[in-house]
Amino acid sequence: MRTSKVRKKTHNESNKIYNKSWQAIIFILPGLILAVAFIFYPMLKNIQISFSDYDIISGKLTFTGLDNFKALFTESQQRFFTAYRNNILYAVVVTPITLFLGLIIAVAINSIKKFSTTFKVIYYLPVITSWIIAGLVFKYLFNPGIQGPINYLLVNVLHITSTPINWLKTEWGGNISIWILGIWKNIGYAMLLYLAAIQGINKSYYEVAAIEGATGFQKLKNVTIPLIKPTTFFLTIQLLIGSFNVFLQVLVLTGGDPRGKTSVLQYLLYTRTFKLYKFGEGAAIGLITAISILIVTLILNKKMKVDY
Amino acid sequence: MKNIRKILKWALLILGAVIFMLPFIIMIGNSFETFTFSLPNPPRLLPKEFTFDNFKEIVNVYHIFDYFGNSAFITFVTTIIVIFISALSAYAFAKIPFRGKELLFKLYLFTLMIPGVLNIIPQFMLINQLGMIGTRRGLILLYIGTGICGNTFFLRGFFEAIPNELIESVVVDGGSHFTIFKKIVMPLARPAIGTLAILVLLGTWDDFLTAKIILGAKENLLTLPIVIHRINGQHATKYGLVFAASIITLIPVMIVYTINQKFFVVGGIGEGAIKE
Repeated sequence: MRTSKVRKKTHNESNKIYNKSWQAIIFILPGLILAVAFIFYPMLKNIQISFSDYDIISGKLTFTGLDNFKALFTESQQRFFTAYRNNILYAVVVTPITLFLGLIIAVAINSIKKFSTTFKVIYYLPVITSWIIAGLVFKYLFNPGIQGPINYLLVNVLHITSTPINWLKTEWGGNISIWILGIWKNIGYAMLLYLAAIQGINKSYYEVAAIEGATGFQKLKNVTIPLIKPTTFFLTIQLLIGSFNVFLQVLVLTGGDPRGKTSVLQYLLYTRTFKLYKFGEGAAIGLITAISILIVTLILNKKMKVDY
Repeated sequence: MKNIRKILKWALLILGAVIFMLPFIIMIGNSFETFTFSLPNPPRLLPKEFTFDNFKEIVNVYHIFDYFGNSAFITFVTTIIVIFISALSAYAFAKIPFRGKELLFKLYLFTLMIPGVLNIIPQFMLINQLGMIGTRRGLILLYIGTGICGNTFFLRGFFEAIPNELIESVVVDGGSHFTIFKKIVMPLARPAIGTLAILVLLGTWDDFLTAKIILGAKENLLTLPIVIHRINGQHATKYGLVFAASIITLIPVMIVYTINQKFFVVGGIGEGAIKE
């Protein structure tokens, strides 16, 4: 009786304060103003710019219809399509390899008792290293001459080729270098999320599997992988979106050489906008990228049907 | 059989760790190398003769610590302001009912799907209109503005987990939302705020593109990633200098991570990001 009275009282009291919802404005407003100014408004503005010509000196926008898109699809020597293709290739190559290796490492680290933190830190180091620094180290590793450590390894140690490979200035050499850097840098992230997911699995599942006589591999296939599906889903989306975000890898490693063959959308956006001052074309690339990402996310949401 | 599997597992882990460490070892080794304009042939992990010349040059000629100061100032100010403003928003989203909350929050969430850099052109124009190109103010403002949605979302999850009973106890004493925010929510969410602070800190410290576009050619304001990239461009083969500068840039990052080992498992948070 008494407790219910107390509860009733607090409930009313809390209603009193909850009714002061006008106070929400004071809490929300600073953030909202900034979000409108620097996120919502730019998103819409970006659409407008992509259909316009921007004069940086006068600051004037002139509506030009589809001209920017036409220019992308024709004038710039198919650079746009090559860049788009490279983003997709990056997604197709880097995402599954990163997921696979990240999972393997997470499972291995999870199963050891000693040094697990040490390994965790080592595999996570690339994640916390900035892209610029990681890119520069890889530029050194992929140096086209025999002095480049990777070429030295391939030619003088493993004898796979007899002549050093021109990694960064050829179409496929450059793209492969960009992929390898991406994989190296992302594995730790996948590993960490997988590790957290695996540690969250109820031990009794494994006990049941053990009673049924499951081998280590069967446990992985029938217990671990199905139960960490939400993490796989989350990582897949993150990595796919991330593959539209590739930029610094290209800037540092290849600079888009040879002639845009290793370029990606954001690198093209950057050079069109801030080197050639074609703001409209840059915005058009941005719009196409954003739409692509939305489509990818929506499809994945539908296909993977994970209850989360 | 079990032993073989154990050996294989350790071999895999150690081999992987070596491969992962190798780029860092090469970077450190080469930063102590006496570099002319050609690379050592054959490549070596450790220099023949240790020299601090690269570090001396990067400090005395390239004034790396001036840029270090720029990066530190910009990062520090950004982190404090963006987290405070995001925490305010997150509190309202978590604990104050108001009209249009769900819709607004969905909008915040939606922006997270769009890579930030795609808005860089209108953002650049806006900062330009405000007359803040080539200023720290402009850069910090843009960092804060673009960080709001994500950080609000991140913190809201933690604020929601704070039991309403605690909040009601303040209400009984006649406290306002401000009291609740200050006395209960902020202290209780300290671990979450700490984690977020690290993420914002590192993101800002490592940012290249935004800083490059907003700061432009303002020599005295440049941040570390831009300077490293520029040194690389000037001397395409002087890796010793580039690596020395990189190491100086990496040290604070490593320190922050080592100190905050306990915040290391970001896993649950990342997963929570999709549970909505």
